[in-house]
Amino acid sequence: MSWLITLFVILPMTAAFLIPVIGKLIKGFQKTITSVVFLFLTVLSLFFLFDGNTEVYSYKIGGWEPVNGVPIAIYFVIDGFTILMLSIINLIGFFSAFYAISYIRRFTAENNFYTLLCLMVGGMNGVVMTGDLFNLFVFLEIAVIASYALVAFGVEKNELEASFKYQVLGGIASLLILFGIGLIYWKTKTLNIADVSDILKYSNDRSFLLFTQIILIAGFGLKGAMIPFHAWLPDAHSSAPSPISAMLSGVLIKAIGIYCIIRLFFNMFIINHEISLVFIILGSLSMVLGVFLAVGQWDIKRLLAYHSISQMGYVIIGVGIGMMILANNGNKSVAALAITGGLFHLINHAVFKSLLFLNAGAIEYKTGTRNLKELGGLFAYMPVTYSTSLGASMAISGIPPFNGFFSKLLIILAAIKGRFYLVAFLAVVVSIITLASFMKFQKFSFFNKSSITEKPKIKEVPFPMCFSMIVLAILCLGLSLLIFPGVRETVLTPVVDILMNTTDYSSTIKDI
Amino acid sequence: MSNLYIIIFLPVVAGIILFAFPEKIKLLKGIIATIISAIAFLFSIKLFSVSPQLVNLDLFSSIFTEGTLPWEILQGANKFSSFNIDNLSKFITLTICFFGLVIVIYSVAYFYKNHTLKNYFPYFLITLGLSAGAVLTDNLLFFITFWGILGFTLYKLIKGYDEESSSTAKKTLIMIGSSDGIMILGIGIIWKVYGTFTISELNIPTTYPILTIAFLSLLIGSFTKAGAFPFHTWIPDYTRHAPVPSSAFLPASLDKLLGIYFLARICAHMFILNQWLTFLLIIIGVMTLIFAVMMALIQQNYKKLLGYNAVSQVGYMVLGLGLGTPLGIAGGLFHMINHAIYKSGLFLTAGSVEKRTGKVNLDDLGGLSKAMPVTFISALICGLAMSGVPPLNAFASKWIIYQGIIDFGKEPGVANQLWIIWLGLAVIGSALTVATFIKFISGIFLGRKKDHLNKVKEVNFLMWLPGIILAIVCIGIGVLASAIVVPEFIMPLTGKFEYIGIWNPSIVFVLILASILLGILIYLIGNIKNFRTEDSFIGGEKSQEETSFPVVEFYKTIRNFRLFSFIYDMAEKKWFDIYEISKKITLYFSHWLSKAHTGILTSYVFWIFAGLIIMMIILIT
Repeated sequence: MSWLITLFVILPMTAAFLIPVIGKLIKGFQKTITSVVFLFLTVLSLFFLFDGNTEVYSYKIGGWEPVNGVPIAIYFVIDGFTILMLSIINLIGFFSAFYAISYIRRFTAENNFYTLLCLMVGGMNGVVMTGDLFNLFVFLEIAVIASYALVAFGVEKNELEASFKYQVLGGIASLLILFGIGLIYWKTKTLNIADVSDILKYSNDRSFLLFTQIILIAGFGLKGAMIPFHAWLPDAHSSAPSPISAMLSGVLIKAIGIYCIIRLFFNMFIINHEISLVFIILGSLSMVLGVFLAVGQWDIKRLLAYHSISQMGYVIIGVGIGMMILANNGNKSVAALAITGGLFHLINHAVFKSLLFLNAGAIEYKTGTRNLKELGGLFAYMPVTYSTSLGASMAISGIPPFNGFFSKLLIILAAIKGRFYLVAFLAVVVSIITLASFMKFQKFSFFNKSSITEKPKIKEVPFPMCFSMIVLAILCLGLSLLIFPGVRETVLTPVVDILMNTTDYSSTIKDI
Repeated sequence: MSNLYIIIFLPVVAGIILFAFPEKIKLLKGIIATIISAIAFLFSIKLFSVSPQLVNLDLFSSIFTEGTLPWEILQGANKFSSFNIDNLSKFITLTICFFGLVIVIYSVAYFYKNHTLKNYFPYFLITLGLSAGAVLTDNLLFFITFWGILGFTLYKLIKGYDEESSSTAKKTLIMIGSSDGIMILGIGIIWKVYGTFTISELNIPTTYPILTIAFLSLLIGSFTKAGAFPFHTWIPDYTRHAPVPSSAFLPASLDKLLGIYFLARICAHMFILNQWLTFLLIIIGVMTLIFAVMMALIQQNYKKLLGYNAVSQVGYMVLGLGLGTPLGIAGGLFHMINHAIYKSGLFLTAGSVEKRTGKVNLDDLGGLSKAMPVTFISALICGLAMSGVPPLNAFASKWIIYQGIIDFGKEPGVANQLWIIWLGLAVIGSALTVATFIKFISGIFLGRKKDHLNKVKEVNFLMWLPGIILAIVCIGIGVLASAIVVPEFIMPLTGKFEYIGIWNPSIVFVLILASILLGILIYLIGNIKNFRTEDSFIGGEKSQEETSFPVVEFYKTIRNFRLFSFIYDMAEKKWFDIYEISKKITLYFSHWLSKAHTGILTSYVFWIFAGLIIMMIILIT
């Protein structure tokens, strides 16, 4: 069984190398292979997710067995959290790739596009699977460098500028992460996360650890676009082609930002009060400032991009509250509720935000503009885009019965129960402003007066784009079911258990 | 309790299925919706005779085999699905289903061959089922979910066809959605302190600040739904732009029922109010009453006028419930029912007028009483009821509220001392309501008929029937108020209470009827037909064919009165609209923040290192 997990890296990478070679010879090869690979990986990850056992699978690259209990091989580890992330990455990846079949036709270099997309997904799969710090950095760089290129894919003035900023700031982040990893290696003489965790347990060099942790928070925070490290995001996410924006906002900032933070700070470092406070503060800042910045935007994709910052704030808050309660030895069930809320929102955000970017892409595809002031009256001409984007807007604004309502509900309830009244209040206010800005999006793009002159020419987008949007919209409704204990126990509870029992990770891995 | 399945889930499921049908067979969809509403109404009558009890519903988990995923999901949901059938909830359910039935009949006729609103009937049915669900549920989480979905269906029942109407739709959902968010805070606090979501287990004293906050946040939810000051501002806009059946269904009847139901729930069952909260409720009630009716006076658009009136009447309900005495609560709830009846009646007649004339301004209308007699009569009766003319229904409820206020004054307390002020303002509000009613009736139905209205005919059977039914119900409830309606329906909600004042509508009604009969008799026997006609004297001027003196003009003097005109100017600039104020503040912050994002790379890099260094300094030193 465990050899299967290597496919998550091997297949996208292979596809990435085959596309430029075979893609030139066979027409349509690049589209087919990308979609097929992502679909296969989605099915595989869903299979792991729902197979009913919570066993941890691992694969030692090169087959190097541990020497005296010290792991020396690079590990690929699949536990509940990883498999959840893999499902999200590949699922959204598949829909973006399928959507791109129509969307990307107007660009010239289709082969390059699909190669880069495969590289990005392969890199992200690697990041969430690896059990080795330096390996994590390598995969992270693969994913990020592919995304630099994809942001610049339009090769217009704006895209290039956005990509340049993204590269400079992303470079700083990579540097910080590498520096942090170096510090850990220097202290512990090992790079295996489980092993590092074991050694750090007995370390009492508090200020050194805090220093390392802050460096890593800044680094991964930059990748995950937490305020004040967010400045690259609005430009980059709005300049990329829409399927890529969906990947960047829906998946990339989670896989290489939020996932790494949660994994390292729960399972590698010893959780402590100060760091969880930092998370709550950064989360609140991102949530509040992000939404205020978003509500004033007139460019659809910029508006959506700022909302990514704000929504990631919710995730960080949920997880941060759980972490703080754990660190203070508080009520474990509240901590579990907070973490569940955070992770639930992470899944939900991946779905509705990528759907919203696909909607924005559909609008831009047909009208040629992203400026809300120039749009209007589209609901009659693009019914699929309209109804799916309405679902996604309601989901992100937390209107029941869409999924965003339930995850926000959990986060707010947990915040109140854990006595974080101010955070709960801010979460509600932000939710209201989110609603306001998405009502603005709905109003100006689909209703209002139409100012598009060649209106009769506008039709619904082609089938692949519609298909991706419809399925994602159904997911927006369907994921609400995760609130009910029956499903939550299969999908979310294993992840929460992994994060709650912080030291189990290293012992499980070392036992294998 | 199979009744509950049919009342709550049948309309919802039917609504979801109806989405699949194409829009072309709208008539069929309408008929199906009518049948479903009728079934729900029948079962709500059946439910009404059930004795109060708590029920745990199994949410269909039995149709799946044990151990499968859907079964697990529904088993999980079952933990929350407790429903409370008590006097209050079953009474409100009955009224909700009644209005559902009346309005759906009208809607079938209104939307027939009228392609304005897509998927009206599916959303209508979902709204119906979920409203009953929200009323009956005993679990706060179920409640907030149902309540939230209702906000969404409300948004879907109005169509954004131009800039103003789409702004209205936006404003409506933002205000309703915000109140839902704030309610979650209240629910969270209750859960934190009491560890339960079950409504029937709660009896919370408002002695600690945090519990008061919980109460206030739930209060905001109910006020926004019902439309009490200062959260009412979506209602006039909504009624102006939404299709009339939507206005009659939601802001006029269902949202009032739900909002006031929840207000009664939190005031009478979930919380024990302290005297300052009572004071607050009364003040808000009176302010709603006066401000909204003052705004109604100056409206030219009759749908908006009715919208402001709908807000103003909420003042009575809040006032009654705020008193907290059995008499006050009874008056408030009774007025809620009455209001829903006459206000949906008025909206339906307004819809008929709009459908036939296509005009929405009073200036363009007039003299339609002959052309649309049935509509005119139902509007007249409903309007008289709204003005509180005895022996119609709203008089009975206002009468109970007045008595409640007097009774309230006998107790010690801050608000109690000021009872005479509340009473005075309530009576003034009622007087002003009469003024708005006269404007509405005379503006549309009386006066000189405009030339372009010559071709106007009465609407068809299905459209005038609901109006006249509602008018008859107005009379019926009014006449039978003290004999049947109050002791049988209202007293079970509040417990027994004594009237101070004497009012026997049945006798009064008989007297009025007798005098009318006598009048007809005199008219027939006596030779009154031979009366003398004379030209009216108008300051020596010759009366001409085209001269007309519309009543509507008179109201402009109020608008121009110096003190009022200042306030009205402010109101028209939306200075009192909580939505506009918050919008300005939000956009100010937004503007200020986005100025910082200059796009200069070095400053972004600077932020990163600033953030890093600040964290270092705070944590490590």
